[in-house]
Amino acid sequence: MPEALSVGSSLSLTTITLFLPMVGLTILLFMNEEKDKDAIKWTAFGFTIATFIASLLMAFNFDVNDAGLQMAQRNDWLPQLGISYFVGVDGLSMLMVLLSTIIMPIAVMASFRAGVLEERGRSKLYYIFMLLLEWAMIGVFVVQDLIIFYIFWEVTLVPMYFLIGIWGAENRVYAAVKFFLYTMAGSILMLLAILYVGNAAGTFAVPEIIAGVQSGQLTFVMDGVFSEQSFLFLGFLIAFAIKVPIWPLHSWLPDAHVQAPTAGSVVLAGVLLKMGTYAMIRFNLPMFPEASVTWAPVVAGLGVIGIIYGAWVCYAQTDMKKLVAYSSVSHLGFVVLGIFSLTPQGIQGATIQMISHGISTGGLFLMVGMLYERRHTKLMAAYGGIWKAMPVFGGIGLIISLSSMGLPGLNGFVGEFTILLGAIGSGVLGIGFALVATVGVILAAVYILKMFQAIFMGELDKEENMNLPDLHWQEIAVLVPILLLIFWIGLQPSAWFDMLDATTASLIAGIADFAPEIIVQAGS
Amino acid sequence: MVEVEAFIVLSAALFILGAMGVVLRRNAILVFMSVELMLNAANLALVAFAWHWGGMDGHIFVFFVITVAAAEVAVGLALIVAIFRSRQSINIDELHLMEG
Amino acid sequence: MIDVPSIADLNLTVTFPAVFLALFTMVVLIVDLFIPKDRKIRTAHLTLGGLVVAFVWNVLVFDSNQTALGGMYIADSFSGFINFIALTAAIITCFLSVDYLKRTGIEQGEFYSLLLFSTAGVMFMGAASDLIVVFIALEILSIPLYVMAAMRYRDAKSEESGLKYFILGAFASAFFLYGAALVYGATGTTSLPEIFASVEGIVATDSGARLYLVLGAALIFVGLGFKVAVVPFHMWTPDVYEGAPTPVTAFMSVAAKAGGFAALLRLMVIALPELTANIGDTIAIWQTTIAIVAAATMILGNFVAIVQTNVKRMLAYSSIAHAGYILMGVAAVGTIGVAEEATRAALIYMLAYTFTNLGAFAVVMALEKDDGSGTQIADFKGLSRSRPLLAVMMAFFMLSLTGVPTTAGFIGKFLLFGAALEAGLVLLTIIGVLTSVVSAYYYVRIIVNMYLEDGEGDPAEGATQYLNYATYAAFAGTLIIGLFPFLAVNLLDTMMIAGLF
Repeated sequence: MPEALSVGSSLSLTTITLFLPMVGLTILLFMNEEKDKDAIKWTAFGFTIATFIASLLMAFNFDVNDAGLQMAQRNDWLPQLGISYFVGVDGLSMLMVLLSTIIMPIAVMASFRAGVLEERGRSKLYYIFMLLLEWAMIGVFVVQDLIIFYIFWEVTLVPMYFLIGIWGAENRVYAAVKFFLYTMAGSILMLLAILYVGNAAGTFAVPEIIAGVQSGQLTFVMDGVFSEQSFLFLGFLIAFAIKVPIWPLHSWLPDAHVQAPTAGSVVLAGVLLKMGTYAMIRFNLPMFPEASVTWAPVVAGLGVIGIIYGAWVCYAQTDMKKLVAYSSVSHLGFVVLGIFSLTPQGIQGATIQMISHGISTGGLFLMVGMLYERRHTKLMAAYGGIWKAMPVFGGIGLIISLSSMGLPGLNGFVGEFTILLGAIGSGVLGIGFALVATVGVILAAVYILKMFQAIFMGELDKEENMNLPDLHWQEIAVLVPILLLIFWIGLQPSAWFDMLDATTASLIAGIADFAPEIIVQAGS
Repeated sequence: MVEVEAFIVLSAALFILGAMGVVLRRNAILVFMSVELMLNAANLALVAFAWHWGGMDGHIFVFFVITVAAAEVAVGLALIVAIFRSRQSINIDELHLMEG
Repeated sequence: MIDVPSIADLNLTVTFPAVFLALFTMVVLIVDLFIPKDRKIRTAHLTLGGLVVAFVWNVLVFDSNQTALGGMYIADSFSGFINFIALTAAIITCFLSVDYLKRTGIEQGEFYSLLLFSTAGVMFMGAASDLIVVFIALEILSIPLYVMAAMRYRDAKSEESGLKYFILGAFASAFFLYGAALVYGATGTTSLPEIFASVEGIVATDSGARLYLVLGAALIFVGLGFKVAVVPFHMWTPDVYEGAPTPVTAFMSVAAKAGGFAALLRLMVIALPELTANIGDTIAIWQTTIAIVAAATMILGNFVAIVQTNVKRMLAYSSIAHAGYILMGVAAVGTIGVAEEATRAALIYMLAYTFTNLGAFAVVMALEKDDGSGTQIADFKGLSRSRPLLAVMMAFFMLSLTGVPTTAGFIGKFLLFGAALEAGLVLLTIIGVLTSVVSAYYYVRIIVNMYLEDGEGDPAEGATQYLNYATYAAFAGTLIIGLFPFLAVNLLDTMMIAGLF
């Protein structure tokens, strides 16, 4: 039985950040759909900004040299069963919280001009779901108790289900139900694994469980490939793999993305998918170190297959939203590869890549949405020469596209490069993984450029495209933070890595206690 | 204790007959009578066991069962009469307004 | 020879909630005679008053851990909690019934007496510590329900529902009774604690008594299995639920179930946990059987529910499935050492299910037309536009039945799965988890209809003032247990309230 960790129970900054969206939601509940139309959207936006500011305060308070939990808070929730409301952040959580709080105001603002909200109405409900989603996402990233984590994890499904189902495209009902059932099926198996771990440990607090594992007080048997620890590892992993999604569990993603409204896609790609990869780092690696080492080649292998498969499918797409959706499969394959290289570089690269992908892919989805609002089609064949009609849009589009394909100097490159470094230096993966992944980088350039060319280059020969209006100030305002981040991470990545150093070092050290082979080449 | 087992065999036979009656009979009244047979089989077993153990519990139990059975009759017959009034039949195979 | 106990020995104070309610039923029956036909709402008010008195008294004697009526009645946290469930269900049902009975033309004062009687039956069931009391409580619980199911006597469906319920109910009672007789034959006593004391000796000697005991336990399980509708004794459920007036269905689905499970848990926990294959075993002989039945119930209930088009029927199959989940908790009781945790899980699940299911039925009743139509799944189309609040609550109830977090249903499922895992029933738990996913399909379909499908939206004219109170209460219960489960668990666990007195 692991020792109990003593953590203060007074109100922490983390809790404030977590519950700010809930405050906004409550206020929205009392507003009138018809009368307060503008007030509703600006209140929602205001609260996402307030949450962002709160998370910035957290970042300023964050001590980069401390590997442990910071701004933690713990209160009893169901003490009879060892469940507590336990929140706190380390480097990894902090960055993910920042990512969520940056993406959310962008997504909310991008909804201001969404035609679908005008057409189907119910904007109050829409913004309520957005705030609920933000609450649940931040919750996923800050809670340190398995059961509460599961609660937040499942709650993210509900608003996303409605966002797709009510404000989605033609096939929205099918996509929404598929999304809900698919992800629920995965996560409910995780609940079993959680209960099993909790029963064995006598607590659901993750730091206590990890401490128990590392001190040897708590062991999950690992003899052979299929043993207790492996099953638990897989119980968690499958839930996360569906969310990421790792090939071959990705089939819900294109449907959900294509049908979702623009803001929904932005949040889905920008943050929700990262919940899966975040959770792998947070739970799978430290709680099941031996199984992680044993299964690393398999999972990383699936990640690499995803890189190539995603890129290949992208190349064949004619629908630009589908293309961006599949590019997520490819990009997140890199993240998985980085995580299961089990090296500090790999995991840091993976984290940076998660953020980069959130920003660039979010940007791509926004661009697709802006084109769709103007022309009501997502087929690339309907465009061509758009740069001439919309020069500002074209310029921004070029930068975001280049960032997505990983051009040095922009954000995409930093993550992918570090991941490849990690994969090469990995003690558990062969050099082949990195080589195949490199092919993926080249393929990414091919499909992104193909899309860019089809939309922006060539002759402006289609009548309907001649007089497309260039960007509205609100649209520019949405894209500017994305551009800033693209350049910031691309040119000045060290600030971001600093956040992660202490956390990843202690994580890898913890695994190395059980499997020393993983650090063989870590120094090289 | 041969005797007590003999009673139990008899009561078990009655119980099974009653159960078969419920399953096989189609007339609601007869089904109902079969249920009563089952209750009385249980009564017989209770009395036999009470005699075997020399306690009062079983006898008390039987009195309660008789009372309860009477209450069931009151409700059951009323229901059967109501059904008969509305459709001139008490064949339970014809009770299939709701299927699926 | 026989000691005549004094009134003080009977210890009536702790039995007050149940005994009072039984007596109060007569009062309602008599007073109702003097209430004119068009003011039956007075009867409802009177009934509510009685229920509230019983409720408050139950809180006062809650968890006093005493026996009464010569050891036949036991007042502990278990019975207190069952009383809590039964009275909550009855109060909400009362609110549900007032306007419904009026607009469907079946308003009769007797309805409320029957409701009270049945509630008292559930309460006695939870507190019984003697087979005789269990049997009588079972009948007090059932007989009024037969009548209530057939209450809409001009409607052939309702009559049919009543008769079906009656025949199968009486059939089940006979099984229970014969089982009780055999257990009495094996042990020579009808008192549950005394049966418990003699079981170990019977297991050790491997005599004919053991056969009686096993057979008796099996028959009792069959009898109670009918009541709580587990596979293969579930056939009556869909027809009865569909045909009965909806408030009766709602009450039946939670209270009758709670009563049946209360008796089942009592028997399994108090009387028969030691019924093992050999001395020293830690797993009761009946565990595997119950686990198989639970698995079959969850699978059948959930899969058949998928194809239903009538919401009442769908909820009937869903209630079969939920009986399977609770039965999982009963099975877990069979592993010695897990009994307490498993009982707690089953009880919390029942409370969660009570709030959620009553809420779901309340919304169904809001949509139901005076002639009983309007309960198809398609009738929910566009409800989020016509009645947004009602739709939100219905969506929440459906998510709770699925077991999505922040709802009471999640807490129940999570506790149950945890207990079953601890009891070593891994396969059963996996089946439970997977069937939950299946259930998501049909529960979500209602949400799809309310929110995602285009449609005019039903005006839901049945959502009258009283019905809304009931819906709000059910919603609050579902939400509060979901967010603050420690409230429910503490209610069950601590002696706090009793300690004040």
